[in-house]
Amino acid sequence: MKLTDTKSKIEYELIDKAVFFRKHGILAFGDLHLGYEQMLKEQGIMIPFNQLKQSTGDIMKIINSLKKKKLKINKIVILGDLKHHFNFKKEEKFEIRDFLRFIEDAVGKDNIILIKGNHEKIELDSREYKDYYIQDGIAFAHGDKIFQEILDKKISLIVLGHLHTAVFLKENSGVKKEKYKCFLAGKWKNKEVIILPSFFPMREGTWINEGGQDRENFSIIQKKNLHNFNIYITSKDKTYCFGKLKDLN
Amino acid sequence: MTQITISKERKSEDIEKTLHPFIKEWFFSKFDDFSPPQKYGVLSIWERKNILISAPTGGTKTLTSFLSILNYLVILADKNELEKKIYAIYTSPLKALSNDIHKNLIEPLEEINKIAELHGRKLQEIRVRLRTGDTSQSEKSKMARNPPHILITTPESLAIVLTSKKFVEYMKAVEFCVIDEIHSLGNKRGVYLSLSLERLNELSRIWPVKIGLSATIEPLEEVAKFLTGVDSKDKKRDVEIAKIQFSKRIDIDVLSPVEELINHENPNKEMYKLINELVREHKTTLIFTNTRSATERIVSYLKDKFPTEYGEDNIAAHHSSLSKNHRFDIEERLRDGKLKVVVCSTSLELGIDIGYIDLVILLGSPKASSRALQRIGRAGHKLHETAKGRFIVLDRDDLVECAVIQKEMIEGKIDKIQFPKNCLDVLSQQIYGMAIYKIWDVDELISTIRKSYCYSELGKSDFFSVISYLSGDYGLEKDWVYGKIWYDKQERKIGKKGKMARVIYMTNIGTIPEESFVTVKLAPSGEKIGFIDESFLTRMKKRDVFVLGGKKYSYQYTKGMNLYVKQEVARAPTIPSWFSEMLPLSFDSALEINKFRELMKERFELKKSKEEIMSFIKKYLYTNENISNEIYNYFHQQYEFSDIPNTKLITIEKYIDERDNKKYLLVNSMYGRRVNDVLSRAIAYLIGKSGNRDVEIGISDRGFYLASENLEIEKALSHLTENNIEGILKEAIEKTDILTRRFRHCATRSLMILRNYKGENRSVKKQQMKSHFLISSVRKISKEFPILNEAKREVLEDLMDIENAKKVIRWIKEGEIKIETDYVRIPSPFSLNLILQGHLDLMRIEDKQDFLRRMHIVYTQEIEKKGKIDYAGEYNEIDGY
Repeated sequence: MKLTDTKSKIEYELIDKAVFFRKHGILAFGDLHLGYEQMLKEQGIMIPFNQLKQSTGDIMKIINSLKKKKLKINKIVILGDLKHHFNFKKEEKFEIRDFLRFIEDAVGKDNIILIKGNHEKIELDSREYKDYYIQDGIAFAHGDKIFQEILDKKISLIVLGHLHTAVFLKENSGVKKEKYKCFLAGKWKNKEVIILPSFFPMREGTWINEGGQDRENFSIIQKKNLHNFNIYITSKDKTYCFGKLKDLN
Repeated sequence: MTQITISKERKSEDIEKTLHPFIKEWFFSKFDDFSPPQKYGVLSIWERKNILISAPTGGTKTLTSFLSILNYLVILADKNELEKKIYAIYTSPLKALSNDIHKNLIEPLEEINKIAELHGRKLQEIRVRLRTGDTSQSEKSKMARNPPHILITTPESLAIVLTSKKFVEYMKAVEFCVIDEIHSLGNKRGVYLSLSLERLNELSRIWPVKIGLSATIEPLEEVAKFLTGVDSKDKKRDVEIAKIQFSKRIDIDVLSPVEELINHENPNKEMYKLINELVREHKTTLIFTNTRSATERIVSYLKDKFPTEYGEDNIAAHHSSLSKNHRFDIEERLRDGKLKVVVCSTSLELGIDIGYIDLVILLGSPKASSRALQRIGRAGHKLHETAKGRFIVLDRDDLVECAVIQKEMIEGKIDKIQFPKNCLDVLSQQIYGMAIYKIWDVDELISTIRKSYCYSELGKSDFFSVISYLSGDYGLEKDWVYGKIWYDKQERKIGKKGKMARVIYMTNIGTIPEESFVTVKLAPSGEKIGFIDESFLTRMKKRDVFVLGGKKYSYQYTKGMNLYVKQEVARAPTIPSWFSEMLPLSFDSALEINKFRELMKERFELKKSKEEIMSFIKKYLYTNENISNEIYNYFHQQYEFSDIPNTKLITIEKYIDERDNKKYLLVNSMYGRRVNDVLSRAIAYLIGKSGNRDVEIGISDRGFYLASENLEIEKALSHLTENNIEGILKEAIEKTDILTRRFRHCATRSLMILRNYKGENRSVKKQQMKSHFLISSVRKISKEFPILNEAKREVLEDLMDIENAKKVIRWIKEGEIKIETDYVRIPSPFSLNLILQGHLDLMRIEDKQDFLRRMHIVYTQEIEKKGKIDYAGEYNEIDGY
């Protein structure tokens, strides 16, 4: 589905767990949490590693589908939380190295923008991690910290991750319910905001339509301010709009 | 073949002749004569024969097993010939019991020593030591320097000592091995122990004589094989069976607190009155409730309503979530006769001596005759010959169930124990331990394992799949994950890998799954209601209604490890309650109930008078006037309404709930929950598949219900056969929570999940939350991953009962069971409880993407209805992606 921000006329489309800006050729996604399996292992859960393979596979599919439509990716913006551990883990470092090599092959080393998430507490290498990235009135940030620059009046659209948004859809009878990763799009501080679901392949995310937690100061946008945001869920071939968050259930 | 013979009763003089004078003097200072178990057992043990002794609770089994051992040790000690080795190992599944035995062994020994002193002799010290998970490090090293002559231990600690190089040296000539409480080992703990025993046999230079002690149990031949293991060429494994009948007289009855259960407004209140009356008439009463929450509720209610009768000093609750000290304290006070009433869940079923009990009350059905006997056998312990028990029932299904179980008890019909077979998770853990102990030739390893009764039919492919898993095949090695053992295919040798092996093994040993619990409290008062499994909580959201201890509550909010709820009367439960893992009705008792139903139906069809039928009930079920009348009315109503389902008939009622237009199938199949679990899921899966829709399932001991949009059960039933049901069920459970949960248990047992790793104890909570990552990644490795296969086996064979379900399907196919389907406007009296219990699970058939599409249509319609399509104003949909 191609969406247009009515005010700025910026076109973008939601693909799987990422957003693509056709005019600029920017592909953005975030919250991969590479190294999560390593953490499970540390906790005594002897899990075979699969996350890296699945994440790169998912990205490959997105790249291929854009290629098919003859759309070119000029830039990849990673919206933070590429890594999971707060402290240094050798295994995680290898995974991140392999992952970055993979996307560098796709768009070239200079066209990758890394944004610092709350999990990027230590530096694994010499790569630069930015607090935010701005291009043509679009601001990309993680979502845990606020920066004056992204609130500047020249900015019309903000792209965030961090919240791992997901919703439960459920039948009226209440017996069946399923959780889906979702995008949220709406207005905040007079700007358009898109919140991306996590790219993390092993879990849907945090349910936000009911019962989910609202930790204070966890995100720059409080949950109560998301009520008027629209929910979008992507499937293999279509994007579905489920109306406003406050109207769901 | 292992030869099994029936033990003979021996003459007292013959037993006496074998006893050392001090033992004889001690014994007859305590007892007048040998008890029946002793007459059957003591000499056989003296003659070094393997023996299984089955006797009711409160017998003298323990002393039977020890008398010859003590005698032998005293003879040696008297000659100063005791060696530095372990002569006897005693293992019991209960930690508390081990403590108890410890006391009961040390005291007699002290008394015997005194007798010796009186005779001017000083016996060499006979050391008895306890080794359990609670034994301190210093105690352990003391034992390693100076081994006990009798080692008292648990199955887990036995496996640990078998892996300890130093200790094993003292275990190479063990002469006796006592396995207590075998009747409670029909589970993975038993499987685990059977492998440990084979490890002991394998490293022994001589055969350790096996002595099994059990409460009343069937089938004894199988239990005997479990005890000694199987080896066709090995005469050492021949075994005797001593079956001592229930010699105590039993005085039992089924009671109802009110005259008509169905019409009474508050039978609960009357029940407390009845309990109070019974308690007042007796000195000490023990009450069994089946659940922990009911235990607490009954104690607090009795204290509230009868404050002059009950207080801290004379009433107590006893269940497994209480602290160890608290439990010991209650047991002590019970033994000392200080308590008037103790209410317990199931925790006092097993062996520890609890002193003088003159009445046992069973609230609700004990679900099996063996369990009922075990519980009622707690009364009249030693002192009194008559065991007195009363069932108190609160609904009519329970009433029939208890009456039939009472009949089985009186007539000595005991339900059968089953030992799980070929468990690959337990096998993984044991092979790891064996590899830590020494390097094995692979053929030697498999032949040792196959001598265990639980693995006698272990297939080579299953065995090697476990070896592959443990040695890091399946491409796991690259993830620095597995590799617990090495396997050299050329040399065919197996050994341990890694420096941490021993530590990891010893700190993660065991088969009992850990669960973490959340306390449920009433909001806002904070009054404690009970506990629920934490994984249960993670599935709930605000306003969900669930059942706890028979009452409905709705979820309000959580705070730390507390869940705050409100009492909910109006709405039906929205959350399944299988988490409580209710005791299932035994298949044997279910068949007995079916038989009774059949006999009742015959009598109604023959137009027998009420008097005639009443007198039949009284005679057949041994029930009193009031209870027999309730049963008559219940069956009469059912017969008048439609038909009485029975051995030859399953009735299916098709019913539409007008409130929400939901279609139901109510299936009256009295086979117990474990069989109904299989039948309902297999049928639901077939129905769901044909319509690509999910099916809601509710299961009970007496039948099940299915609810969905279309319910063509006839087609599903005709498709189902004895041969295809297993395959269908494996697919049907693939997406269930129960499989994920059981997989976590299996993964923990096979050490894929380590509770204790790098010196830290990992919280169960974290493991619970994260085990689903493990199952999904394991699925990606191989569809035939051994631990996943084991989880499925456990669900099908241990949790459910696929074998007996196959039997039922066969009976249906062969026409022995007819199926009658009928449309009903209201459910029949027998089906009413089926539908009232709330749903248990959802058979997920529909693809997640299909559900998304379907829900989108529903939501869009709703949004349009409400006229809330303003989202289109801000964002324009341009084209499809």
